[in-house]
Amino acid sequence: MVTREDVENIAILSKLFVAEDELDDLTKQMQEIVEFADAINNAPDSGEEFDNINNLSNVFREDVVVESLPSEEILKNAPEQAEDHFLVRNHN
Amino acid sequence: MSEIKKIHDLLTSKQISCKELTEKYLKSIESDNGELNAYVNVTADEAFAQAEKVDAKLSKGEDIGLLEGVPMTVKDNISTKGVETTCCSKILTGYKPIYNATVWEKLENDGAVMLGKANMDEFAMGSSCETSYFGGATNPFNTKHCAGGSSGGVASAVGGNIAAYGLGSDTGGSIRQPASFCGMVGLKPTYGAVSRYGLIAYASSLDQIGPIAKTVEDVSIIYDAISDYDPKDSTSQGRQGGMTFDKVNNDIKGMKIGIAREYLEGVRDDVKEAVLNAVKVYESLGAEVIYFDMPALKFALPVYYIIACAEASSNLGRYDGIRYGFKTEHYNGTHDMMCRTRSEGFGAEVKRRILLGTYVLSAGYYDAYYKKAQNLRGTIVKAFDDAFTKCDFILAPTVPMTAFEMGHAVSDPIETYLTDICTVPVNIAGLPAVSVPCGFNDKGMPIGMQLIGNKFSEATILNAANAYEKAAPENFKETKWGVKL
Amino acid sequence: MKYELVGGFETHVELSTNTKIFCGCTTKFGGEPNTHCCPVCIGLPGTLPKLNRQVVRYAIMAGLATNCEIAEVAKMDRKNYCYPDLPKAYQISEYDKPLCEHGYIELSNGRKIRILRIHIEEDAGKLVHAHGDTYVDYNRGGVPLIEIVTEPDFRSTDEAREYVEKLQQIMRAIGVSDCRMQEGSMRCDVNISVRPEGSDKLGTRTEIKNMNSINNIVKAMEYEFERQVDVIESGGKVIQETLRYDDATNTTSSMRGKEDANDYRYFRDPDLVTILTSREEVEEIRKTLPELPEAKKQRYIEDYDIPEKDAALLTKYRKVSEYFDEAVDGLKNPKTVSNFIIGSIFRRVETEKDKEAFDVTVSPKQLKELVKLIEDKKIQNNLAKKTLEKMLDTGKSCMEFIDESDLGGVDDSAIEQMCKNAIDGNPNAVADYKGGKEKALMSLLGNVMKQSRGKADAQAVRAKLIELING
Repeated sequence: MVTREDVENIAILSKLFVAEDELDDLTKQMQEIVEFADAINNAPDSGEEFDNINNLSNVFREDVVVESLPSEEILKNAPEQAEDHFLVRNHN
Repeated sequence: MSEIKKIHDLLTSKQISCKELTEKYLKSIESDNGELNAYVNVTADEAFAQAEKVDAKLSKGEDIGLLEGVPMTVKDNISTKGVETTCCSKILTGYKPIYNATVWEKLENDGAVMLGKANMDEFAMGSSCETSYFGGATNPFNTKHCAGGSSGGVASAVGGNIAAYGLGSDTGGSIRQPASFCGMVGLKPTYGAVSRYGLIAYASSLDQIGPIAKTVEDVSIIYDAISDYDPKDSTSQGRQGGMTFDKVNNDIKGMKIGIAREYLEGVRDDVKEAVLNAVKVYESLGAEVIYFDMPALKFALPVYYIIACAEASSNLGRYDGIRYGFKTEHYNGTHDMMCRTRSEGFGAEVKRRILLGTYVLSAGYYDAYYKKAQNLRGTIVKAFDDAFTKCDFILAPTVPMTAFEMGHAVSDPIETYLTDICTVPVNIAGLPAVSVPCGFNDKGMPIGMQLIGNKFSEATILNAANAYEKAAPENFKETKWGVKL
Repeated sequence: MKYELVGGFETHVELSTNTKIFCGCTTKFGGEPNTHCCPVCIGLPGTLPKLNRQVVRYAIMAGLATNCEIAEVAKMDRKNYCYPDLPKAYQISEYDKPLCEHGYIELSNGRKIRILRIHIEEDAGKLVHAHGDTYVDYNRGGVPLIEIVTEPDFRSTDEAREYVEKLQQIMRAIGVSDCRMQEGSMRCDVNISVRPEGSDKLGTRTEIKNMNSINNIVKAMEYEFERQVDVIESGGKVIQETLRYDDATNTTSSMRGKEDANDYRYFRDPDLVTILTSREEVEEIRKTLPELPEAKKQRYIEDYDIPEKDAALLTKYRKVSEYFDEAVDGLKNPKTVSNFIIGSIFRRVETEKDKEAFDVTVSPKQLKELVKLIEDKKIQNNLAKKTLEKMLDTGKSCMEFIDESDLGGVDDSAIEQMCKNAIDGNPNAVADYKGGKEKALMSLLGNVMKQSRGKADAQAVRAKLIELING
């Protein structure tokens, strides 16, 4: 059973605001989706642990330096920047 | 005939220059995109620049590759350097990647002419293209219907003849479903065959890039061009076993086709009938048909939604207004800025999936949902392994119905989830599958079937798909839109 | 009532690889902001991580050097939390299958501090707060770390100090990290609880962060111990919380509660594949490990007869012990080398950082050359000491400062003659000595040394004088 508190809690973890007037509706939707997901509880447990889809292992990179990008490139898409840093103003 | 070969012949025989061809496509986009809404960003300057290079080569009498100079489109979740890439989300508006996705790097080097970025469901989350921040792409067979999703823009553009082909991505059916809805051929490659580097992740363990085109041959040509080992992607393996193109015209006599009964349950009658007609075509071509059960498929849909949403909730955490994309205007403190940016920047469906994903990973629910789903993923993988000991490929409907009317999918999220029932098992098991048109319903909307192969058996399923295309060409129809070559 | 301190450590150590853990950007400390960055380490959409082979190797080396078992199967997980210094909103780490487990470090009091696990993970970027705004620099983002987690096995701040020093020595000796706390390449979080002495139940613990020196760790632990005892004594309850240590006031204070609950929603990172380590690989890596400081120290004590205190000083810094090993190679008397390093060279290499670098003007070979002259009785200890100072000043070799005439030593017959001269010329001193004034021998000794221009071996002269006087 998904409660309002559950939804509030996962919204905080997800860094999303849920307005008070949306909460009931969203809780109902989440409950429906979770009920739908609950179908798997009826499935037999195979006990097999899934690793990764193609069972790959030990894919590594060698420890060789590749030139970094200039900071102008790195900062190109920043909504705000100052002194070669990404900037987060405290208020806006 | 292959659209790509047709264009290649026009270019090399100098019946049309690449610039003229590009102009033709851009003009059609201008006139038709208003109604199809397939493109969210048209890149005329880049297209012409690329076309000029091709023309220069042609004028010097140099040979050009099959894909060189062919106008195409790229789904808006594939990173294109310097060209806005938004995943059709408000949260990425204005974002211009500073690097190329490996697939686009390859095709650009091969001389592909990108006309623009194609519409999609926001972050590839949706089955009708309507969760797009820019509104949904429409179906070229009837624009009152949706193009499908999430790669709706690519299917609409190719079906509407405003791109010769396109690159889409398939996490739970996002290439095959819109290809099926728009009467196109769409290939979801084996997980690991095509690099994911630069594909903006929805669900990393399920996502694969693949082509949507008009014919099986086209799809084969594009697949051969993009499937390669990429050292930037730890899960990449590249194509195994050589080019598919030299194998698509092989005889299919004696090939064993498997039909899992679960795939036909709950499928609308007209769709079922079309698929069973295709089975008859295959029998007439000398293939053998085997029926069996795959009970594990019953759990595929919830398994898919749990895994996909869990990964998505993590993949989409980075959109916080600091490094790129949209940032809210008014806020108080960093935390508040992040929450507002995300709440204003993401659409309702994306938020729902982030919340579900967070829920199934959170303390107290992890074992019951995420862990259990991973366990069942193993079961589904094994069920397919068993099936492929009995047959060469599995034949199934792509979608249990034909394209919904616009607005229908948005009204009931869970009902829409159910329409992914036939497509998601392939992603869960990391298999290749190609969707091929196999008929039309009484309203003239296309019906698609999918050929599901064992890992890295793209050549087998493309060969079988091509045999069907040649035997039943009436199912591959032109629409009224776009460029007439 | 008497209380006992119970402590545990979580130590982050930055690995000295050339490149970051998942991309080819340099790990160099500092640099202009956001210049050691690429699409991968700033988490641009669509980018993928690729694991640096050397990170795995270094972590296994760290595990072996601290007596850990190395996992045959390890995997990478995502730890999800949102913070501006974390560009993907998750840190790639290892949750339930770390590379190394179940190790220990033995302390000088014989107690073993058990190591629960060592896992690899990526570092976050750096936030600079100025005029209320936040400036973000991702140069450090993606630098490889190992996190070394101990059991709550510490019972005193002395043990804590020794553990941190030992850990530093080990990591430096095997070359996986420079462990500079000031630069943040080694960072310790300490868990502390208190309990009545004799109890075996664990009390409620607090976690202290933000300590950038061993002294601060010790001070913070002492403060926190007292604080918790006061809370309990006055009838209160210790609250489980994360504390920040303030160097200036020597107090701990509660860190501002993170806006979100602590639910990291760990799950396997689907972008990375399994790490398999065969037993053969582990043994191959074990073979490449250099001698560890503790073993070295024992060897110096047992084989070279060097006092424990000096052996500890020599093995505290990797470069010092390497210097010593090179200088003593082939010499009969390693103790002289040790004395010269600790007595003369350390006076010029004072700070921790300098000792760590141990950049000395005199090469080990040059020092060996000097000590060899003493061993061959060609020069005297005193002259050698003075010569070493000149060598340290100039970086020149000893022969630059020793005249031909200084060399050659003084043979036994010459010593006998000189002693006779001294005895004959100083009857008073001889009489005094015979009368029981031991000190009188010194003036005779001085006389002989003067005759030999300091070249004679004082011990031999002394013996000869006594022999001649006593007839």
